[in-house]
Amino acid sequence: MAIDMTQFYQVFFEESAEHLAAMEALLLELDLANPDSEQLNAIFRAAHSIKGSAGTFGFTDLAETTHILENLLDRIRKHELVLRADMVDAFLEAGDLLRVMLEAHQGRGSSDPSAVEAICERLRQLSSAPDVPAPQTAAIVTVQEPPGVPSKASESPGKRAYIIEFVPTEISARAGGVANLLDDLHTMGEVEILSQPAAGAGGVGFWQLRLITAVAEQTFADTIDFIADNGAWRIAEDKSFADNGMAAFGFFESSPGAPEDDRGYGFFAPLPATDLVEDGDGYGFFAPLNAPPTAVDSSPGVDGEGYGLFEPIVPAAPSPALVEQNVPVSIPVVAQAASEVQGTKIASPAAVSGDSSIRVSIEKVDQLINLVGELVITQAMLLQTASRMEAQAPERLVNGLAQLERNTRDLQESVMSIRMMPISFVFSRFPRVVRDLSAKLGKQVELKTLGESTELDRGLIERIADPLTHLIRNSLDHGIELPEQRVAAGKSPVGTITLKASHQGGNIVIEVGDDGAGLPRDKILTKARERGLAVSEQMSDPEVFNLIFEAGFSTADQVTDVSGRGVGMDVVRRNIQTMGGRVEIESTAGAGTRMTVRLPLTLAILDGMSVAVGDQTYILPLSYVIESLQPAPGDIKTLSNQARVIQVRGEYLPVVALHEVFNLKPLAGDFTQGIMVVIDADGIKAALFVDALVGQHQVVIKSLEANYRRVAGISAATIMGDGHVALILDLSAIAGMAKSNVQKAG
Amino acid sequence: MEAMTQGKAAIPEEDQVASEYLTFTLGSEEYAIDILKVQEIRGYEPPTLIANAPPFIKGVINLRGIIVPIVDLRIKFNLGKIEYTPFTVVVILNVARRVIGVVVDSVSDVISLKASQIRPAPDFSGSFDTRYILGLATEDARMMIVTDIERLMTRADMELIEAAAE
Repeated sequence: MAIDMTQFYQVFFEESAEHLAAMEALLLELDLANPDSEQLNAIFRAAHSIKGSAGTFGFTDLAETTHILENLLDRIRKHELVLRADMVDAFLEAGDLLRVMLEAHQGRGSSDPSAVEAICERLRQLSSAPDVPAPQTAAIVTVQEPPGVPSKASESPGKRAYIIEFVPTEISARAGGVANLLDDLHTMGEVEILSQPAAGAGGVGFWQLRLITAVAEQTFADTIDFIADNGAWRIAEDKSFADNGMAAFGFFESSPGAPEDDRGYGFFAPLPATDLVEDGDGYGFFAPLNAPPTAVDSSPGVDGEGYGLFEPIVPAAPSPALVEQNVPVSIPVVAQAASEVQGTKIASPAAVSGDSSIRVSIEKVDQLINLVGELVITQAMLLQTASRMEAQAPERLVNGLAQLERNTRDLQESVMSIRMMPISFVFSRFPRVVRDLSAKLGKQVELKTLGESTELDRGLIERIADPLTHLIRNSLDHGIELPEQRVAAGKSPVGTITLKASHQGGNIVIEVGDDGAGLPRDKILTKARERGLAVSEQMSDPEVFNLIFEAGFSTADQVTDVSGRGVGMDVVRRNIQTMGGRVEIESTAGAGTRMTVRLPLTLAILDGMSVAVGDQTYILPLSYVIESLQPAPGDIKTLSNQARVIQVRGEYLPVVALHEVFNLKPLAGDFTQGIMVVIDADGIKAALFVDALVGQHQVVIKSLEANYRRVAGISAATIMGDGHVALILDLSAIAGMAKSNVQKAG
Repeated sequence: MEAMTQGKAAIPEEDQVASEYLTFTLGSEEYAIDILKVQEIRGYEPPTLIANAPPFIKGVINLRGIIVPIVDLRIKFNLGKIEYTPFTVVVILNVARRVIGVVVDSVSDVISLKASQIRPAPDFSGSFDTRYILGLATEDARMMIVTDIERLMTRADMELIEAAAE
């Protein structure tokens, strides 16, 4: 080929990855009882696209596998085959393998040919499995129709009860016709004689039978007609009969007059049997159709209600947003792709829906954000210069600058929002995780997600995925109990994990909650003591719970491959702190646990309070600051002459004198001449002693570590309005330091 | 020209190709460093102090939006008078993918040196680590110490680079 195809590889990989993700999401959402044909089509199209492109690029292994997948999907969407849960499982596995193959082609990892062969074989088997006759499908479809539509009882193979009343002719009665009838009916089901003529009548008279049978009513109607006196017979369905212990559905119209009361002997109008039978329209909803066997079962078998609305896999909160998000949003492109592709790639509107979007390389967006950040700084400098001018600055200049500030702020918000993506991008992978893991652990778990449209910065999305996955796995493994234990505790056997995202202040708050067993306070304390950590019974619950973040901490009795090694939580907390966020734990024994992750909405901009320490200025992130106060003499007490504490509203907080930390000469002579700033960092409170409060502003975070190295107590740097550099303090570290000082002294 | 086989420092193969070096003074000594490592030359401005840093790390400055650490080599190597005048110069280097500034007494000029002009330095044991000296060069009456500035700045005792990283 004259054309070099390699330059298009990157596009193929990205698009295929998107197709696979879309396929998986749709598969998880499929309602097995009534698969939405549009969803089936979408899944088919995704597989078809992958096959086509893979073939074009010569990735034959991908093409062949997707070809088999596509065939099976095609038959299903044409209703030649009925979709079953084991098929969905096979599709999901095939999707995983395709992903591995894609990665292998990109040079990451390798695909196992035997596994590929196995899945192909399985798919072939599934597609050649005997067809389930179409009418079954049709019957399923009619389930969705409004209850008023009668469904032919003859099609539904359920057991019904019929009340049969007849008056036999004398001849047939004498000839044993009734006996024959009874015999016949016995072969069809259970017969119960409700009423018969008096013994001496020889069988002539009013007979009332109850027959429970699955046989179509027409079958025995003929027999009865044969022996009954001219039309003197009636068959009615017994609505009070409950099949499988289910109460009658209540979809039927008013039941026909109760036959038992009617002792009309002799002649009664021959009622066309069919009318009454049609009253049984509740039957469409009957469970005899296969309940979709699902790996993660909430309660499909327990009550058959809401049947058609059931989602076989259980991300319970129906999330229409999720389907929309399957539309690949424009931004994500691997940065190194930018070098391979000339200019901006303007792809045709993203696959599934008609959204118009553009693919832009991340480098360009980051560059844009940097430039806007610089603009903010420059504009602040201008403002400061103007305010310091000797002569009064002309009013128009001042107004112009104020306008500039507003424009800049708006521009900044717009640009930052380019990088914002809805958190559903992260949440969308969790239904699968929950499904697989709960099946593995033998637990029944339902995943609820709320606030999926909450947006956060793209950089955060990638980094929050791992910690969140870990928290969810923890909840599943340690939090939610086995179904038997839950039932014994009076809870529903199905546990619930709730993922909730929301904006609060300048932060995004993500909560991972479960209704499991809660954190075992005593076990944690015991384990902490074993590990030599300084604990006491008096520690408050939050402090005890924070112990689980210590490295290597685990109260699990056994180590499984899911968890228990104690490696996870400290990494989780560190990752979150690196993003500038915090993690909090709340738990009630027996009721459940909730982990709250708070992240700043933007990575680069911070609300800060500048303070003077000696002749230097430092910035404190405002989100950690609770209050500031001027200490009165005598407020500060010492502990063993080493550590200092100050009493604030009944609480004793450790005091950190920043000039001591940074080896500076303080301006304040003693504590009463300076200011105490009370901070709260991850639940640890402390009071920082500074010389003065300078001001409060938004600062652009600049990395110190890019050219220098990590400095203890400093998280980053920023450039002030007059151009000089100010250091931003790492308050978690400082508070931690304060606490350990107090503990050492105390 | 005899081939330079001795010496710890690498001597370029081609005699004829000349490289350019920036020369600056520290105290009474003159140093020459590869011009390609030099990003720019600025005047000295008081940097922002970093607490508990070694005395030769003066702090950080804002270089058009980037935070750049400033190292005073005179303090580190105990050379010359340590004063900051309007003539004090900061050489901004681009080494090891980082931007670092060094305070020097003054900058002389850019000279072109052929490999043959750089002679191996005598081996002083102990006091001065000659690993970073590529050689000695002479021009007119000046003797310049040709230094591998990248290696020098990435030394562990410069404390600019985290030991675990890189």
